[in-house]
Amino acid sequence: MPEISRRTFLAAAGGSIAAVWLAAETRDLLAAGAHAARAGRENPPPPFQFLSADQAADLEAMTAQIIPTDETPGAREAHVVYFMDQALATYAKERRKPVTKGLTELGTRSAKMFRGAKSFAALSDAQQIAVLTALEKEKSPFFGEIRGATIAGMFANPEYGGNYNKLGWKMIGFDDRFSWGPPFGWYDRDVR
Amino acid sequence: MIVGSGAAGGVVAKELSTAGFNVVVLEQGPWRTEKEFPHDEMKVNNQNFFTNNWTDSPNTFRKTPSEKAKLKPSVMYGRGVGGTSVHFSANFWRFREIDFKEASVKGTLAGTGFADWPISYQDLEPYYTKVDWEVGVAGAPGPYDPPRSRPYPMPPHPPKSTGMLLEIGAKKLGYKPFPAPMAVTSRPYDGRSACVQCGFCLGFGCEVRAKSSSLVTVIPKAVATGRCEIRPNSYVRKIELDSKGRAIGVKYFDAKKTEIFQRAKAVVVCANGAETPRLLLNSKSNLFPHGLANSSGVVGTHLMFNGAGLALGEFEHEVNGYKGLVATRVVWDLYELDRKLGLVGGGGFDFRFDLTPIGYAYGGLPPDAPRWGKDFKRHLARAYTRTLQCYGHTTSLPVPTNSISLDPEAKDAWGVPAIRMTYQDHPQDLKLYKYFAERSEELVKAAGAKRAWQLPVESQDFSVHLLGTCRMGNDPKTSVVDRYNRSHDVRNLFIVDGSSLVTSGRGQPTMTIQALAFRAGDNIARFAKRGEI
Repeated sequence: MPEISRRTFLAAAGGSIAAVWLAAETRDLLAAGAHAARAGRENPPPPFQFLSADQAADLEAMTAQIIPTDETPGAREAHVVYFMDQALATYAKERRKPVTKGLTELGTRSAKMFRGAKSFAALSDAQQIAVLTALEKEKSPFFGEIRGATIAGMFANPEYGGNYNKLGWKMIGFDDRFSWGPPFGWYDRDVR
Repeated sequence: MIVGSGAAGGVVAKELSTAGFNVVVLEQGPWRTEKEFPHDEMKVNNQNFFTNNWTDSPNTFRKTPSEKAKLKPSVMYGRGVGGTSVHFSANFWRFREIDFKEASVKGTLAGTGFADWPISYQDLEPYYTKVDWEVGVAGAPGPYDPPRSRPYPMPPHPPKSTGMLLEIGAKKLGYKPFPAPMAVTSRPYDGRSACVQCGFCLGFGCEVRAKSSSLVTVIPKAVATGRCEIRPNSYVRKIELDSKGRAIGVKYFDAKKTEIFQRAKAVVVCANGAETPRLLLNSKSNLFPHGLANSSGVVGTHLMFNGAGLALGEFEHEVNGYKGLVATRVVWDLYELDRKLGLVGGGGFDFRFDLTPIGYAYGGLPPDAPRWGKDFKRHLARAYTRTLQCYGHTTSLPVPTNSISLDPEAKDAWGVPAIRMTYQDHPQDLKLYKYFAERSEELVKAAGAKRAWQLPVESQDFSVHLLGTCRMGNDPKTSVVDRYNRSHDVRNLFIVDGSSLVTSGRGQPTMTIQALAFRAGDNIARFAKRGEI
């Protein structure tokens, strides 16, 4: 019997890439939780542990195109980039190289597609979408990886550094109350 | 001596210790309690909190015996005291009469080892009832129930929106839905509290002891006798024999990987349908050059998974399937199929939504939904609470070449040869799964979904149901254990778990595994008291 949840995780893991982003150890989690709490509290937020300010800006711009901010908060407000920085600083060290390389190429491509652009983050929304659409079309592993990591950072428990204030959960209507009774939903509203 | 503390091992430990025997249970995983169970899908779904991890315990996979197997996670089971019963979804369907004699009623099929059981539903009924009452099952009589000698000990759980929608869809199609039998408390029972409907059942451990796992039901009772020692972090490598071919004990590694020999008068292997044949095959000796208790050559063969045909649907209003236990209504009208279809086996349906947020965002969206951007976000925000799955749980056929064997190269972190899985669904089963995926889509549509889509059917390469690999039978040439779960070859060796199953049932094997375990416990005690072991 296939177990969909587990299978989608394995499929998403695609032999290792996304799996790494999902592999935090308890020790790293404590640090991530503490850092995420600081990020939420302090103004200006604390420095990134692995990413440079420019890298973080580009990465955050990517996450904000994958799950954008509109009438409701998106990946930016959920601090997904902190989830990624924390992962790269601790348990996902092996992803540093490909992520750094991907970000460099993202900059190059942005400048090529839109002459003189200083960075991906500096592009307009429409321009950023054009760049990411091109990457998606090419089945870019970097884009796939950041998409996967954005989802993980958006919906994992907040102690992993993202899903700040449970914004990811609020977005989809998941309430972590862990105790329910009838009615569970609209279709059992009249039961007993 | 019992190897494994899961659905079967826990029951045998309780039965033997309460009958007055001294029991040691060796469990490869840790002994955790409900206070340590996280509601954290990263930890549970990706980091194998409750299950075997493929870094220390790799397995290889291939479709057919002619291929070279490659490393690939394919086998998943609960690793820890309570085994898979800690994190399973707790659907507790009894098998029906037909499951024990389907081959003679429907006829065998080329390329399979489809066979009748050496026991009937009537032989097992008293033990199903024991499971109902001693483990704790909530339910209500349904239109297709096999005969039962006692009612359910607990009433069914209240129907969720998923259950109500299944009722609507099923009735429209002329089916007769009924309350799902679940091994979860619906009221305080046997010193345990009632389920709080947290929604973290499948894949997770129950933090209020409402899920009727071995960990919170039979194991505490076994320990309370003062005659049962549970030894966690004890990984059994080999069963040892004397020169006369009697089992004398096992060699196992403790938490520090020190090898220890534990003597025993009798050995009961309850290590699951993958680890049990592996242990037997790793216990080669001069007497048994092809693996212990394997004079038939049948150990490890006839691996069955159960199949599935699934459809998903999105509804107008909130379903909130993430709240509460997995299933509240089931449909058994296609348990057996019209002969004109030419399909052996059958199945049953439930409606559920067992996708946690990350899992849903990765894999629960319709195939044409956007994967990023504004519309992706809009879809997630709307559909997480409005999506459900129709799960068509089915049989799968016992195919001799589908098997658990030892990989000639891969070893685990203890240096023990790893599991090699060979598996390809029988062509008739692929047709069966597709048939159930189509019926699932019909059910979702009949329930009023705005849109519905089937999941593609393909040959499976990963399973949490590991069945049939030490099958039960009267003939020592074609089976591994007899009708009492006793090895044909070694008289003081018993094997009780999913590996004993001759056919796969309709997708929910645990109830039957536990009934077999109660029956085996009874018989082992009887043999021992008569000096017949």
